[in-house]
Amino acid sequence: MIQTRPFEFMTRYTPQREWILGRGVLLWLAFFFIELGAGMLFVAALFNSLWGMFIGWLICLVLGGGLHLLYLGQPLRFYRAFLRPQTSWISRGMIFISLFAVLGILHMALVYWATSPLGLLIIIEIIAFLVTIYGGFAMSYVNGIPLWNTALLPVLYVVAGFWGGAELALGVALATGTLSQTGPGIEEIIRVLLAAFILIVAAYLVSVRYSSKAGEVSVREIVVGRWWALFWIVVVLLGVAFPLGVVSSAVVSGLETIPAVLLGLSIFFELLGDLSLRYLILRNGFYSPLTPISTVPSA
Amino acid sequence: MRWGMVIDLKKCIGCWNCVLTCKAEHFLPPGIFWCRVLISETGKYPLVTKHILPVRCNHCQEPKCVDVCPTGATQQREDGIVWVDPDKCMGCRYCMMACPYQSRVFYSDEQEYFPGQGLTPFEEVGKQLYPHTPGTVEKCNFCMERIDAGLAKGLKPGVDREATPACVINCLTKAMYFGDLDDPYSEVSELIKERKGKPLHAEYGTEPSIYYLE
Repeated sequence: MIQTRPFEFMTRYTPQREWILGRGVLLWLAFFFIELGAGMLFVAALFNSLWGMFIGWLICLVLGGGLHLLYLGQPLRFYRAFLRPQTSWISRGMIFISLFAVLGILHMALVYWATSPLGLLIIIEIIAFLVTIYGGFAMSYVNGIPLWNTALLPVLYVVAGFWGGAELALGVALATGTLSQTGPGIEEIIRVLLAAFILIVAAYLVSVRYSSKAGEVSVREIVVGRWWALFWIVVVLLGVAFPLGVVSSAVVSGLETIPAVLLGLSIFFELLGDLSLRYLILRNGFYSPLTPISTVPSA
Repeated sequence: MRWGMVIDLKKCIGCWNCVLTCKAEHFLPPGIFWCRVLISETGKYPLVTKHILPVRCNHCQEPKCVDVCPTGATQQREDGIVWVDPDKCMGCRYCMMACPYQSRVFYSDEQEYFPGQGLTPFEEVGKQLYPHTPGTVEKCNFCMERIDAGLAKGLKPGVDREATPACVINCLTKAMYFGDLDDPYSEVSELIKERKGKPLHAEYGTEPSIYYLE
């Protein structure tokens, strides 16, 4: 329970806390790993990388699903979350993740014996896409928080999930010595996703900034306020500019010419930037106050 | 029938009696508030204005919390009351995010009012009469137990004390009114009509059942 002075709560622009502070940290990590794992399986499946698919499947279900369960106040009641798919995005997400778990392992088993049909590949790709997007939709449904209540958020989460998944798939290719076969293809996907990510983040922040006063407060806190260092140094510099430099080098001189250490760092920084951006989005989800905003400083 | 409340902000003096009454009525644990009185001040000395706003769940006609609840724990009754079934809630707190008024509270673990000194007799009685389930979300339920018991006795909520929410009947200045919003001749409907009652943040489209008179 997060304590508050009850007479001051919601008298100013108030950030949400339950999904980021205290045990809320688990939910932040859960969303990250679920989307990262699904994104990784999505990309790895395109290249028939069994290791990539398996690691993505594990990240999504064990880390993502496990953290989700740990976050719940009554984890033994999780099965009830299947009951309301008609209106609840959490219910829909549970169904997508369950299908992802079953069909993912089936697809991998069939790939292992080299007999997986194209139809199953298409289905698993669609389900991985849905797993990646449901968290964004769950958040964008919250109309009290302008930073979340935008159609760009699900798109941003999908692109971030796929980009992170592609980077991890590249890492698997590097580790398994198959970089020369699958690396160039994955790198081409990364190029597109990186460009899309930059455009969407910029459009997202600008659109939220001008959506409402609470949106303006959120964006200001991220870009020039309390969290500016995390945003500019970790998200922009390390998470975007560094991978952009590596991708640019790969375009100019080929992926094979880039040292493995640099590739590894690029993957690590991309994941760090993605995780940090998600933290910022959760941490700076402000509600509008219920009273005229107090001009007296909080005690 | 749709139960609703009207709060006259000209009468409210910010005494917190509704908060304390609610705490006592539902044996609320430490740190848990189903209703609150918000205080804010605007302006600069000597031109300062103090704003007092009693808030609780708005029992919206279009409740976002009901839509987002994945387990069906948050439900809306036919009379408009939105309540949480503690036996179904899994504590995902999605409803807390979805509520633009932040009227919900998460009860994480059992706590004592005097930590390390055991439960007071009041808390012990509360555990039997009105148990709270740790790991679930709670909120105001318009004292639906009182309403249901009163209706069963043929009483009229908002008119008869026994069938009316505890905060309303204990308001020192009679700033709160309770009644049927669907009845155009009820006291609450008349007040809303005559004094142009407004809900909080109507722009969210949730159609709250609590109106404020200024």
